[in-house]
Amino acid sequence: MAAPKAQPKRDFFDWLHGYTGQKYTTTLLFLLIPIILMILFTIIPAANMFIFSFQERDQFGVNPEWVGIDNYKTIFTDTSYLSTFRNSLYYLAGSFAQQAIALFIAVLLCSKIKLANVFKGVIFFPYMMNGVAVSLIFRRFFQKGDGITNTEGTLNSIIQMFGGDPVKWLSNPDIVNWCLVFASIWRYIGFDIIMYIGAIQSISPDIYEAADLDGANAWQRFWYIIFPSIRPIVALQLILAIKGAVSVFEIPYIITGGKVGTSTFVIKTIDTAFTYQHVGLASAMAVVLLAIILIVTGIQKAFFKEDK
Amino acid sequence: MKLQKILSAALTSAIVLSIAGCGGNTAGTQAATDGAVQNAVAGEGSSSSGNDAAADTTTAAATAAPADNTSSGEKLTLTVLTHRTDRLANGGDGSLEEMTKAFEEANNCTVKYQGFTDYAGDVSTMMSTSEYGDVLMIPDTVKLSDLSNYFEPLGSYDDLKEKYNWADQKMYDGVVYGISHLGSVSGGICYNKKVWADAGVTTLPKTIDEFMADLRLIRDNTDAIPYYTNFAAADWTLSQWSSLVMSASGKSSYNNDILINGEDLFVPGGAYYEVFKLMYSVFEDSTLIEEDPMTSDWEGCKAAINNGKIGTMVMGSWAVGQFAEAGDHPENIGYMPAPFSVNGKQYAQSASDYAMGVNKNRSSEIKELGKKYITWFVEESGFAKKEGAIPTLKGSAMPDYLEAFADCEFFTEDTAPDGLVGVWNEIDNDSQVGIWAGDAANFKIQIAEAALAGNDFSAVEKIYADCNSKWAATRDANAVYTAYKAG
Repeated sequence: MAAPKAQPKRDFFDWLHGYTGQKYTTTLLFLLIPIILMILFTIIPAANMFIFSFQERDQFGVNPEWVGIDNYKTIFTDTSYLSTFRNSLYYLAGSFAQQAIALFIAVLLCSKIKLANVFKGVIFFPYMMNGVAVSLIFRRFFQKGDGITNTEGTLNSIIQMFGGDPVKWLSNPDIVNWCLVFASIWRYIGFDIIMYIGAIQSISPDIYEAADLDGANAWQRFWYIIFPSIRPIVALQLILAIKGAVSVFEIPYIITGGKVGTSTFVIKTIDTAFTYQHVGLASAMAVVLLAIILIVTGIQKAFFKEDK
Repeated sequence: MKLQKILSAALTSAIVLSIAGCGGNTAGTQAATDGAVQNAVAGEGSSSSGNDAAADTTTAAATAAPADNTSSGEKLTLTVLTHRTDRLANGGDGSLEEMTKAFEEANNCTVKYQGFTDYAGDVSTMMSTSEYGDVLMIPDTVKLSDLSNYFEPLGSYDDLKEKYNWADQKMYDGVVYGISHLGSVSGGICYNKKVWADAGVTTLPKTIDEFMADLRLIRDNTDAIPYYTNFAAADWTLSQWSSLVMSASGKSSYNNDILINGEDLFVPGGAYYEVFKLMYSVFEDSTLIEEDPMTSDWEGCKAAINNGKIGTMVMGSWAVGQFAEAGDHPENIGYMPAPFSVNGKQYAQSASDYAMGVNKNRSSEIKELGKKYITWFVEESGFAKKEGAIPTLKGSAMPDYLEAFADCEFFTEDTAPDGLVGVWNEIDNDSQVGIWAGDAANFKIQIAEAALAGNDFSAVEKIYADCNSKWAATRDANAVYTAYKAG
């Protein structure tokens, strides 16, 4: 008797209530918070920094003055700014050593040794530590005591135990940068090792088996099987090392405060902004650093395309 | 049902947005639009500043007060920002709160202190909003010409200069915006009396040569480190040497003269040149200083100078109290004038510490109360006397430790002439010479590094010449300066 009801036209609310609608609203709502946070704390400050880089302004931003590209001119003409990149070379050199050591340890950890997972945990641990804490540890580690206000640091204590003379690690301009590089390597090597282990473990065991049947020794296994397979990761790590080297900050800032010739570009930027109140110029320096990192990233992208 | 869900989703996002946006809006404007949201926002804002729950409610009340003009009968709350965390109940001995009870009773109000360990840094950041307390120590990062944007005028210089020391400290166009909370002798040297006496020094040095000879005596005759550099904390410890300059010059107009006459900072015989030459001479002789300056320890050195393991340190007079408190021999800590004489006479510059100002973005009641508080603080509280500092109120008694300054003439630095106010600091910052700065490329650190590396004095003269040329180039490019010279 009752005629079947005509199917009502699906309106917007029905769509919203349906599977796809719910999927979209849920995704949107979950994304909302991270996106708002990102806009608030990354995009807006970064955009402001870009605008500031064309201004002459202090920390309060009262009456900023537009100066065009003068700030950029200063950075590229006054040698005291770009020359701080010289210290990045120490960290770059250090990072090559770091890659070699990391690769060596990774290969060891992938062979059949006992307690491999314990070692992995121990080696990765420094990477999870706060950079400030690491810096404080190493300041104590390299300390040269005078017996009156402070005692010998860890390293000098060990040297003394073996009858050597304590060394002024952090006062000598010839060695202080290498000490800082050592601290940097100690902190970041765990991450590299984990990356290499991941890459090495993704190599099919069949290949090893075939190599074993052919009588390959450990070196041949590494050079002809492991290394070619993880080359993209090695390239990525080297690019990351360059990025790290140009933006070194907390380790020299906390251990030496940039004194005795250990200043870096980022420390110089901080001093320019907050010691000398040239927030405009410092913003331009930050933009230059950003540009350098973008260029390096571009090179990295090009590298990977070639490899495919 | 559907609508409810959508509405609740929209509300959720609105709340998220409003909480996220609380930094940008003051509680006052929020109150005008939406009472419920205002509560949430005010609560959020105050809890993020790390107070306990009881303090939260008072902060919320205090921040809402400016929007509410009818609450004149209620007890007012005055928020005071301070750098003296060591005198607050939360983290210190609480003597400041104790002292303030008299003021609270007399004016029927509550004074709430907020302490900052990195005062200048934190408060400078807060000042980009309107929420920077009711009464605060004016950070030196605020340019004199910008004072009127942030602070309530406290009176004219002509009225206040008779009553207070350093009334010109935070002044622009003859209007005073901040009154110094206390002052100190800025050019002097802390020393351990026993160490100096044991070394055989009978009269305090009046010249560089005498000072160096005395340090050598300490080296030869005692076990103490003659001079402790504190180089690891060089960003501020080396700046203590800059504070000797005015005293060494003996001229209240020394900096002004350099500026007006267009002279170089570092000329042989000039105060800047000689002070840092002395610093070089001390640092260069590794037998006079601690073994490894790079790992020196500020906290450790306080006890060491107290118990006679360190002989000498160049420090402002503020350090005397800290050194005396650090060990069992407070009686051994002495303070001597800078070892420089002008025509046989020694001089000492007295200078203001932080000046207190009143936040101008407040209701007139709060501002009046703030002014009363400042007057009470400098005239009646007795804070300066307790701290062993020079009180702001003229005619007050001088602290005991200045006995060695009996033959010294005290003076305060002249204000810059009209038309050149703030120009000295502008040139200092723009040229990045940084007389008071502590960045890694600073000339003081360069000189200290040259000395510690054992380079000869020509390296220092090169640093001097470099600073002179940077200074001159920036000065001649400064628009205000060239206008002054032309007019």
